[in-house]
Amino acid sequence: MKIREFAAGAALAAYCAFGVAAATQAADLPPLSHSLTKLTPQPAPALRLKDLDGAVHDLARLKGRVVLINFWATWCPPCRREMPSMERLSQALKSEAFSVLAVDVGEDADTIDAFNGQLDTAPTFPILLDTRSRTMQAWNVAGLPTTFLVDRQGRIVASAIGGREFDHPELIRAIRELLNR
Amino acid sequence: MRRLTLTLLAVWGVAAHAGTDSSVDAETGLTTWQTETAGIQVRLTQISPDQARAFYQARGFSPGAAERYADECVFMTVVRNIGDTPIEHRLSSWRYESAGQPPRALRSKTEWERIWKQRGVTESARIAFTWAQFPTAQTFAPGDWNQGMTSFSVPRGGQFDLRFVWRAGGKTHAGKLEQVKCADENS
Repeated sequence: MKIREFAAGAALAAYCAFGVAAATQAADLPPLSHSLTKLTPQPAPALRLKDLDGAVHDLARLKGRVVLINFWATWCPPCRREMPSMERLSQALKSEAFSVLAVDVGEDADTIDAFNGQLDTAPTFPILLDTRSRTMQAWNVAGLPTTFLVDRQGRIVASAIGGREFDHPELIRAIRELLNR
Repeated sequence: MRRLTLTLLAVWGVAAHAGTDSSVDAETGLTTWQTETAGIQVRLTQISPDQARAFYQARGFSPGAAERYADECVFMTVVRNIGDTPIEHRLSSWRYESAGQPPRALRSKTEWERIWKQRGVTESARIAFTWAQFPTAQTFAPGDWNQGMTSFSVPRGGQFDLRFVWRAGGKTHAGKLEQVKCADENS
């Protein structure tokens, strides 16, 4: 078994442009997955945080919608790589009862704005600030990125650990199934 | 503790020593080691001392505190479940062994936290450090993977073998990455 030899030039350039993330650049980037792990439905912990503009977002107010909650940070390479696909997913389902919330751990709005400025398309979904990582701990997140899917009843029904290609057809199909229930 | 040690010794004795592959990034000159065995893929990529310094200073570490971490032999570590059974990962079960040294455990996040508090590293910087390290314990469903830093007390350019241990299907498994080398100061 040989390690695949694909040079991720564009990604490397992006990381280097952002400075410190170059430290986490691998020789070749691990592929993003597209699997979701179904879980026995359980009530989602509370999630009430401010976004980059200071507006408060409360998961409890999103009952009736399917919500994808992504825990991330700008210095986390797979988080950075999956972010554009999360925006594409959000756009693909924008006319449906579906929301994306991206929860950043431990960083300030300026840092996140700087990261967003490098993206071809800045995220249109809310980016929430979990500056002291307490929400992550309440959600039992062990590493970044970690993503949860919450159904219309406010229950966690699926999770994904590690980077994903969120607009992969299989993932969109899984979300549509929840929307159609 | 004794029971864990005996279990690890027993597992290591029958460890599936799948081959370790390595490749060098043409742009950075940094080396990656990777192995796949029994449904798990483990990959270590060198992080140069300069990269480690830059990363943590940008996260709020003082130059001295960042230097303390850069003194370690640091790797970007990836674990991926490539099988069809959930994997239970626990970093405290991993051991590394360099020539003339007994097997050693990796320094825990708790130990690092104590070091950073003694050095006056701010809470926000400590939070960044904690989440940048490879998770202490995690269950990976098929398709799940994670990435984070691991550090080893091995001198620059030094070499070691890493024995990683995980549980799947109710059994403890082990694998090995061989002859992993720390980045040089000038990497």
